[in-house]
Amino acid sequence: MRNSSWRAMLRSPLVVVVLVVLVWFVATFLVLPNATLLISTFFPDGKISFRALEKLVSSERALNSLWHSFALAATLAVTVNVVGIFIVLVTDYFKIRGSRVLWLGYATTLIYGGIVLAAGYNFIYGKYGFITNAVRNVFPDIDPNWFSGYFAVVVVMTLATTTNHMLFLGSSLAKIDYQTIEAARNMGASTWRILWRIVLPALRPMIFAVTVLTFLTGLGALTAPLVLGGTDFQTIAPMILTFSKSSGSRDLAALLAIILGLATIVLLAMMNRVEKSGTYFSVAKVATPLQKQPIRNPVANVLVHVVAYMLFVIYALPVLLIVLFSFLEANAISTGTITWDAFTLANYATVFGTPAVLKPFVVSVVYSALASLIVVLGMLFVARVFQKHRNPMTSLLEYLLHIPWILPTILIALALVMTFDRPNPLIGGQVLTGTTMLLLVAYVIIKIPFTLRLLKAAFASVPESLEDAARILGAGPLFTLRTVLVPLVLPTAAAITALNFNSLLDDYDAAVFLYHPLYEPLGLAIRASTEGENNLDAMSITFVYTVLLMIIMGFTMWLVYGRGGASRRRRRSRPGRPRGGAGAAAVPVPMPVPVPVAAAAVTVAAVPAAVPAAAPGSQP
Amino acid sequence: MIRFENIEVTFGEQVAIPQLNLQVEQGEFFTLLGPSGCGKTTALRTLAGFIEPSAGEIYIDGKAASKLPSEKRSVGMVFQNYALFPSMSVRENIAFGLKVRKTGKVETDRLVDEIAAQVELTPEQLAKNVSELSGGQQQRVAIARALVLKPRILLLDEPLSNLDAKLRVQLREQLKNLQRELGITTVYVTHDQEEALTMSDRIAVFNHGVVEQVGTPEEIYNRSATEFVATFVGATNRLSGEFLQHLRGSGGEFLAAEKSSYLRLEKVGLQPPARGASIRLDGVIADRVYQGSHSTYTIDSNGSRLRALVPENGALPLAPGAKAQLYIDPSSILQY
Repeated sequence: MRNSSWRAMLRSPLVVVVLVVLVWFVATFLVLPNATLLISTFFPDGKISFRALEKLVSSERALNSLWHSFALAATLAVTVNVVGIFIVLVTDYFKIRGSRVLWLGYATTLIYGGIVLAAGYNFIYGKYGFITNAVRNVFPDIDPNWFSGYFAVVVVMTLATTTNHMLFLGSSLAKIDYQTIEAARNMGASTWRILWRIVLPALRPMIFAVTVLTFLTGLGALTAPLVLGGTDFQTIAPMILTFSKSSGSRDLAALLAIILGLATIVLLAMMNRVEKSGTYFSVAKVATPLQKQPIRNPVANVLVHVVAYMLFVIYALPVLLIVLFSFLEANAISTGTITWDAFTLANYATVFGTPAVLKPFVVSVVYSALASLIVVLGMLFVARVFQKHRNPMTSLLEYLLHIPWILPTILIALALVMTFDRPNPLIGGQVLTGTTMLLLVAYVIIKIPFTLRLLKAAFASVPESLEDAARILGAGPLFTLRTVLVPLVLPTAAAITALNFNSLLDDYDAAVFLYHPLYEPLGLAIRASTEGENNLDAMSITFVYTVLLMIIMGFTMWLVYGRGGASRRRRRSRPGRPRGGAGAAAVPVPMPVPVPVAAAAVTVAAVPAAVPAAAPGSQP
Repeated sequence: MIRFENIEVTFGEQVAIPQLNLQVEQGEFFTLLGPSGCGKTTALRTLAGFIEPSAGEIYIDGKAASKLPSEKRSVGMVFQNYALFPSMSVRENIAFGLKVRKTGKVETDRLVDEIAAQVELTPEQLAKNVSELSGGQQQRVAIARALVLKPRILLLDEPLSNLDAKLRVQLREQLKNLQRELGITTVYVTHDQEEALTMSDRIAVFNHGVVEQVGTPEEIYNRSATEFVATFVGATNRLSGEFLQHLRGSGGEFLAAEKSSYLRLEKVGLQPPARGASIRLDGVIADRVYQGSHSTYTIDSNGSRLRALVPENGALPLAPGAKAQLYIDPSSILQY
């Protein structure tokens, strides 16, 4: 029996230590900075002031950026759904030739996103991009800036954010009871009617959730507008970055960040409500797994195949070109003429042979590794305490730890900069701004909600009787934690560490506000390579970085999902296993593997939990 | 051996067990029987030390134990889902408690091998992962893990409910035999009356946190103390007033007319009994359900619709609509 009384909670010295550290951390790094941001915007001199608001209203650039952000978000909500639902249907619902290959093409955005993806598209279609140059060799009159502004940003972000559809909509689709489809067909419904009346309505809650995420991604987009927006299409996030650089306009930056934060909170609250009110669970006791549907109309079938493969080319081409270009001399790329002689390993030699070039990569690896280890280790204790002791205090702390979920990364970063640019008693009178610490703190903060929720779910999935059994056999709480519980949540913890590591590796949003000039992370190096005209070497180096990133991320994804899925299938097929007994603590990591069967194994509880978590990592 | 004295257990506002008094003797197989939510598991968990009673005292071997932590009570427990540690091998699972006690390696191996042999686990099975074992084997691991620490009391929380019907019957006997061999005091929780009747030395029937009756299986079944026990344990016929009146008029004068009256199915005879007193009544067969070794007849008689359990021993079956004579021993009627 869980004892939730305060007395029982405070009896354990371990719990007390965890709580004290936690309260300090939450107060110092989650509550204080965001409060500081609010106060310095609206109460700059101790009394309420709307100067920042006046500045905003009188700044055409700022107002334009607001308008652009909402326009971008609204456009993406449509385009991403169209493309996203289409790719989920052709990979998981319809019988399409070569759907596994298609899946791999569409899934390329899983292993590269953010600044890397924006830079990649820029190097291929941008002003000095390979395709642009190649085409201009034949048609010199074409505008070199053709891939820039609103159009370019929408295209790139549409492709980049369909990841959410693949992950979450795909798993929802796999959960549809196939018998409902068979029943509809038995009553004479056509392919389209079944899709329209049975399948899509069942997916509606998830489509809504993914739409909100897409909208939020569009609203807070930083890297895509920065790299591809040009001068005419700037959105809120890049504006915040610009304004935050001078102290005179910092209040404006803060106000814009607050507006972004408010919009995010409102949308997430909406999503939460809808999620609570209308999630459809299969009512069937014996749900049959989905079988792929053939498209019976031959014309439609051909048409869908053609579109699916066109999309495949659009998705896969940049990746293939980036890999190809990483082996090419920079000149060959810029002139758009590739010969056999141009192939070289020199770019790789440069990256691995020049310490200064390798450094951003190392810096990012170190930051990501440290942050993901710290956050998982810390949350392991916190999740355990929260799961074991439920009372108003732990509930409040748990809510506060979710702050990074409802606030955009940019706002968190800006708040940290503005709070710790002066000595602070809570951290022993230190100044953190300008040190290497602050970025680490930000990375830890950003990853808390995702880590906490999954670890809590992992602890919750361990049957309570295991603890009782350990206790009756004489084991103390720490011994039980070490020998019984931790081994069970370890696979989940390792998976979370790997995913956190992945998503921090190419981070730009937090780094750009918080990096130490001597320890520039990868995201900034890649961004720098997209600036200016004759940056040929930087471009080649970015290609190598990108290939390395894709290898690391692909490998991590395989470690977490590929193998996990396989062992899950094996375990499921073994008969005679008692309910909730051995093996009940399967890894509740909220993403499907490329096999529909395994996607169904994704735990119901984990999916909604993880939905918003995927958003910050994939903001291009 | 074990004494519950005025034990009260509350969860917040809710009173799970208002006042429990029980005595379990040394070496006894004692069963807590009742429907789900009746408080039987709560009572067991209180005995195990997972729940602290809000009032009263538990005595183990004459010593007050309700303040003692679980591990100091010398109780071993087998959980409903066995609670085997999935990250450990079978051997590691059984050795867990010894490891906590910091028993030496050689001694640990010896004790594990000894108990494994007792519950019939092979050395190959000891090396396996727990998820590689069948349900029945997992149960034996759970028992071995509980017994290796040589507890004075063994607690079993519905340990057979996870198994399929045939295995359940088989393991029921094995478990009972093991308990008899070891002579260990055992407290067994189940909602399955058949399990309770076949395995127990004594049974306590729980209802809404209250013990309705404590007794041997025969006492519980044949002389159910309360209406709840009579209807929960085994199947019964409820007798109408008219039927009872008829019995009272033909030799059952001692039966109370106004009380609720019940009669077990197998106590309704369609043949005159070999010995003992019986009252003959007329009835009409309404239905017959054939069940292999026996049939259940539904008979209308004197305003009651009775079911009768009749062995299929070669006698000609009665068809619906046929007249039948019922033979009833009035002393087997349960009245409340």
